[in-house]
Amino acid sequence: MTGGPERSSPAADPPDRPRPATYYHLARAVLYREYLIFVRYPANAIGGIVVALFFFGVLFYGGRLLAGQALADSLSGIIVGYFLWTLSVGAYSSVSSDIGSEVQWGTLERHITTPFGFAPVALLKGVAKVLRTFLTSAVVLAVMLLLTGTRLSLDPLTVIPVAGLAIASVLGLGFAAGGVTVLYKRIGNWLNLLQFGFVALISAPVLDAPWTRFLPLAHGSAMLQRAMVDGVRLWEFELADLGLLAAVALGYLLGGYVVFHYATRRARRLGVLGDY
Amino acid sequence: MARSAASDRDDARSDEARSDDARPSEEPGGASPPALAVEGVSKRFRDGEESVLAVDDVGLTVERGSVVGLLGPNGAGKTTLIKCALGIVLPDAGSVRVFGTDVGDGRRAAYADVDAMLEGARNDYWRLTVRENLRYFATIAGVDPDSVRGRHDRLLDRLELTEKADTPVRELSRGMKQKVSLASVLAGGAELVFLDEPTLGLDVESSRTLRRELRRLAREEGLTVVLSSHDMDVVEAVCDRVVMMANGRIVADDTVAALRSGTERDAVRVVSADIDDAVVATLEERFDVRAVETDRDGRDHGGAGSTAVEVAAAGDELYDLMDALREAGVTVEDVETVRPDLEDVFVDRTGTEGDANPRGRSP
Repeated sequence: MTGGPERSSPAADPPDRPRPATYYHLARAVLYREYLIFVRYPANAIGGIVVALFFFGVLFYGGRLLAGQALADSLSGIIVGYFLWTLSVGAYSSVSSDIGSEVQWGTLERHITTPFGFAPVALLKGVAKVLRTFLTSAVVLAVMLLLTGTRLSLDPLTVIPVAGLAIASVLGLGFAAGGVTVLYKRIGNWLNLLQFGFVALISAPVLDAPWTRFLPLAHGSAMLQRAMVDGVRLWEFELADLGLLAAVALGYLLGGYVVFHYATRRARRLGVLGDY
Repeated sequence: MARSAASDRDDARSDEARSDDARPSEEPGGASPPALAVEGVSKRFRDGEESVLAVDDVGLTVERGSVVGLLGPNGAGKTTLIKCALGIVLPDAGSVRVFGTDVGDGRRAAYADVDAMLEGARNDYWRLTVRENLRYFATIAGVDPDSVRGRHDRLLDRLELTEKADTPVRELSRGMKQKVSLASVLAGGAELVFLDEPTLGLDVESSRTLRRELRRLAREEGLTVVLSSHDMDVVEAVCDRVVMMANGRIVADDTVAALRSGTERDAVRVVSADIDDAVVATLEERFDVRAVETDRDGRDHGGAGSTAVEVAAAGDELYDLMDALREAGVTVEDVETVRPDLEDVFVDRTGTEGDANPRGRSP
């Protein structure tokens, strides 16, 4: 990727020849920062994995005691759903709480007053969070498969795009929640509870109620089930399904960004941007 | 000091004028636009009875390469004005132009040369090292960090952070964190920086280092600084111009020297053992006697029993005062000019004493 903000003769010591940063440099900086925090402070990621596995353990062993064969029949679906839920929660909470943290640290203003504009920075930060979440959720998935002895189709060319587009809609919700957090700090904290609603979206009855396909996660969840449980490859899906998946992802992502944009604009109008 | 700093800055400006040939935002006449031009900016917070007019029709121009101090009591509107200039707060009226670019219309272009360190903000990532912060925020500011590696080394060196370059910021002392914050603001080579209380929490030595570096940056690199601070010593040492605000308006805007000389507090202090109550009464009839102190034990001034009078007298009044003292048979032991400092000017212009917390002890 080339191009970047226009920049004219930044003040610098004579031996330096400052070059404008391109979007490549921006992506590298944002992703590298995420990587550094991930490897330098692994406790957060490990903690998240442990908690996710603990709840899955309770679900799996508790369910086996209570439901027996019924659980075994639907175990593959449960694992795929749980994998998508950990991905969604990771993406949503990291984006929304990250915006809250940046407000608290006084770094949000610096990302808003960047010559790149906040949109590409926010998007790249979101992508960085999603990549990190993919890594931790992959560990959770691997342990779940080992623990239960279940076999799933794990074609990365199918799983990554489908799951990625599915959680892109959640990323949009995260941006919207982050925007509300900028404006109304206390309400923002309550929005974290939304992540429990993702369970309902992931298990939405898309066949019986087709309109639910337009909700975040629902259509993507159904496609991910087909991909991982039934082994359907990306190119074997109908074009309409793929189109809807992309449209829902883009729609919610865009909607979330618009909410964030107007929330920060209102915060600038009210003079509360950066107040925490 | 003010004269040499001004000439240094003139040199910097002419250097910069050369390097600015390619700047697209050049004014029609060929002259480069000022670093900051604020026109008629007003900002009111909240509605109804609770509404507060934080900034009231403020106009301000900051030339390139100058260091301008923004002074005012708490609630004077300094931070709101800075935030309006950055576009972090949208003004209700007026316009802000940064190097000729309207912050309202072309924020991205305007931000290419601006950065800020806001009061109370951490401003950087404490879990990254000092150098990682510099590289990250240089990129965010639109500069390839590899191309300014040398600048970062020099910044670290001059702010005495080289030894801590690879230490996570969270492990540093408060003063060092403050310096890292400043370094990260300067890392991208912004030409205009807003510094809101940059010396807050710094010890004397760190504060001195920071002043030295700010002066150097303004002198050698033509950096334009708008510095808001309660620390009058920093403002006097670093700024060549001071803008004082009170109740959202600018109440004074001049050089430190001009502000001092323009105040009514110019006075002389005369010490003599011959000054008694009768002499004081005579002086009070003809002059504005500000203070009378008798040194009973000889510890404060002159010998025991000598009296010091502080009289507002400038120009011809000074000769009249000396004549009056001679007529009264007073032999002068000591005489000195009492020059007002910025604190006196501040109190005069803003009518505030307590809030300003002059002499650098922030609340």
